[in-house]
This record gives sequence, structure tokens and C-alpha cells, in this order.
Amino acid sequence: MIGTLAVDLLLVSILIGLAWQVVRGRVLFRAIVFFVAFGLIMAMIWGRLGVPDLALAEAAIGAGLTGALMLGAFRRLVEIDARQAVSGGLRPSPRLSLLLSLLAGLLVAVLGLAGLELRGGSGEAGRAALDSLHLTGLGNPVSAVLLLFRGLDTVFEMLVLLGAFLGARHVAERDRRSGAAIASHRLPMVGALQMTVVPLALVVALHLLRAGANDPGGAFQAGAVLAAGGVLLTLTGRVVPQAQAGLLTRFSLIFGTLMLAGSGIVPLIYGGVLMAPPGKTAIYAIEAAMMVSIGVTLSLLFSASAGLRAVRS
Amino acid sequence: MIAAVMPWLLVFLMLNLAAGLWRAWQGPTDGDRLLSALLFGTTSIALLLMIAEWLALPTLRSVALLLVMFASILSLAFFGMPEHGDD
Amino acid sequence: MIDVFALVLLIGGCGFMFAGTVGLLRLPDVYCRLHAQTKADNLGLLLICAALALLSESLLAASLLLLIWLLGLVASTVSAHLIARHARAAERVDRGKGR
Repeated sequence: MIGTLAVDLLLVSILIGLAWQVVRGRVLFRAIVFFVAFGLIMAMIWGRLGVPDLALAEAAIGAGLTGALMLGAFRRLVEIDARQAVSGGLRPSPRLSLLLSLLAGLLVAVLGLAGLELRGGSGEAGRAALDSLHLTGLGNPVSAVLLLFRGLDTVFEMLVLLGAFLGARHVAERDRRSGAAIASHRLPMVGALQMTVVPLALVVALHLLRAGANDPGGAFQAGAVLAAGGVLLTLTGRVVPQAQAGLLTRFSLIFGTLMLAGSGIVPLIYGGVLMAPPGKTAIYAIEAAMMVSIGVTLSLLFSASAGLRAVRS
Repeated sequence: MIAAVMPWLLVFLMLNLAAGLWRAWQGPTDGDRLLSALLFGTTSIALLLMIAEWLALPTLRSVALLLVMFASILSLAFFGMPEHGDD
Repeated sequence: MIDVFALVLLIGGCGFMFAGTVGLLRLPDVYCRLHAQTKADNLGLLLICAALALLSESLLAASLLLLIWLLGLVASTVSAHLIARHARAAERVDRGKGR
């Protein structure tokens, strides 16, 4: 048991150390690297706690999306104002920092106390969900909760994702990158990497989608994997940002939300209840639509453009 | 027997990871920092695979697969970035 | 019996990972560090994957481990190449500025 304790203690202390260094961020690039490491440790912690669904999502988004997003932003920052990249760049006022850290600490304390209180509670909702799991036709309780028991929350999450994309597009539209050098897919090894990983990402995404019904996986993880593949294509220059969005792109952005919300509203027409759980085929269709939407939204969030166009080489 | 030794191997690899953090802290160039990010990636993959065996959670192997598929994204995003100077 | 062999492989793999970290921390130049770390880490990952493949429950799991190692090779190769290329370009810029 001492070994297990040592593992847990080490994980937690590395995590806290990284978090502290990220927030302190004296050298910006260093903070970005620490943040990427933070994501990796988070994925490991989810694995250690035995929550594979979260570990899958954290790995896909942390490794595939967040790091590249931050480096892209850093790059743009260096182009705009090189002074900020050097250590000691812009420093916020001490009073503002103190206020923000007090508020953040208060938030964590409130959430922690609420969590501790719930521990003593009866856990009825969880047990009720697990009991009625066999009625839904799904074997994975996480998917059942996300899609069926708390489907309304998921609709809002999809809308938040769409909102984030629209915000990013609006902000980034103001300064277009001046055509910085990218790791072109014509470079010998990069082309091979991209030709191997991108189709594999598609296969893995489809597998996660199908497996999400009974095993860890699901629409979010599959969509995140697709998005990471999209990021790879953008970074290697196989796909370039497009100023105008095509009809297909616009539709795929809202496809998932439409399917999920629609599946909740349609029962009303037949005299059923709002957000009544649909059958298994409908669940697969909704998850597939959500996967497409999440993948497209996150890819476009990374390139901060209206659309992506394939490049014929 | 393996189950008894495994946690200590995990601790050893995690100490390796923490040691790599020192290089990320020190620099001096951004290439060095990215290099330690590469170390984190490979060590995390090894750790996840070992935890998958230790806790009997085969899905963690898929998590390691995701990590290794996208491990090069950071270096790709880094390429062509102008070196901004000493710090 | 298999357990003992796997344990030896695991310890060897961790040892090579350690060698890679030592290279990262102690060698003088970014190129030397790249060289040492990528090679040692790849070998360490191979030994660890081999050990876990021996311990794994099915042929499918073992093949997944093989795939992970192969992708690890590709990823570290490409990353090392790109980092070295960038370091070289930065060197040229530095020399141009007369540093």
C-alpha cells in the first residue's frame, strides 16, 4: 500500500507544482510547456482514478488541441509585440492579482465544501440512474447520463462550444497571419507522419463512437480525436483556412445540436414527454451527429477561420 | 510479484518526469523546452501503459494511443516560429 | 516464469528512460540532448511495451502495444527532426545578428 500512496502523492505534488508554475508564468513559452505537461498529468490522474472516459477526453484535447492552440496564440503574440515573449514581459498589477487569486480560492473552497457535503448525502440520483441503465439499452453509464438523463445539459454544452468558436473567429479575424512558415507536408517525414496518423485518427474516432455505448468512449472523445486530426492537417498545410464558410461547413457546425435538441422536442409532437429517451438507433445517430459537430467546431476553433479548404499538391 | 514492484517503477518514471521539468525550467533555448515536452510525452505514454496493466484497465492503452498519435503536434506547431531571444 | 522475464524487461526499460533523462539534463547542447534522449527513450519504450505485451491478456492488446511503440518511433523522429531544424535556423539568425 505504501507504493500506491507514493504514486498518488507524487502525482498530486507534480500536478500542483506545474499549476503553480503555469500561473506564475514568468517566461511565457515555459508556462505553455508546463501547461501541456499539466494536461498529460491530468490524463494520468484520471487513469489512476479509474475514469477512462475522462482520460480519453483529456488526452485527445490536451495533446491534440490545447498545446497547439496556445503555441499558435504565442506565435501571433511574438509577431505583434516581441517584448512580451521575453521574460518579465507584461506583468499584471499586484492588487488585481491578489483580488483574482482570492476569488479563485473562494470558488475552489465553495466547490470543495459542496462536494464534501454531497459525500454524506444519499447518492440517490446516481443509484437511480444506474438502476434504470438496463432500460436505456446502453451499457456505459457515462454515455447514458450525458445523452439521456442529463441531455439538456449536453445541449447547452454544444451551444457553448459553438459560442466559443464564433468568439474565436471574431477575435482572430482582426489579424490574419502574414503567412508564417509552417511544417509543410512536403517535408519528407512530416508527410509520412500525416499520412499515417490522420486516417488512423478517423478509424480511432469511429471506434470510440461505436464503443461509447457499452465501453468508455462516446461522441465527445470521438469528436475531439477528429478535431486533433484536423489540427494536424492544418499544421502541416494540407488544409488552409478559408474566409468564407461553405454550406456544408455551416450545417455540420450545428448538426449535433439540432439532432440532440430535435430528439428531445420531437416526442412532444407524438404526445410524449419533452426530452424523452430515444431508442438505440436514434442514440447512435445523435452521437454520430455530435461527433461531426464537435470535430468540425474544434478544428475551426483552432484555425479560427470560417472554413477549411483542402490543398491539391 | 509484478503487482508489488509496479508502483515503485511508476514512482521511478514519475521522478524522471519531474527531473525533465528542470530542463523545461532552465532552457536556455525554446528547443530545449520543447525537448523536455517530448520527454513528458514519451514518459506519460509509458506510465499510462503501465497503469493500464497495474489497475487492469485496458482502455488506458487507448488513451496512450491517443497521446502517441498526437505527440508530434506540439513540435509541428513550434516549427517556423521565430526564436525570440535570450531569457 | 514469464513474470520474471517481463519484470527484467520492465526494469531495463525504466533504466533506459533514466538514461534519456540523464542525457537531457547533463549534455551541453540541444543537439546532443535531442540525440541522446530520443534514442534512449525509444529503446526504453520498446522494452516496456515488450514487457507489457508479455503480461497482457490477449493478442489484440499486444498488437495495440506494438502499434503504440511504432507510432512512438514516428512521432519522436519527426519531433526531433523539427526541433533540430528550428534550432539550426535560430543559430543562423543569431549569427546574423552578430551574437
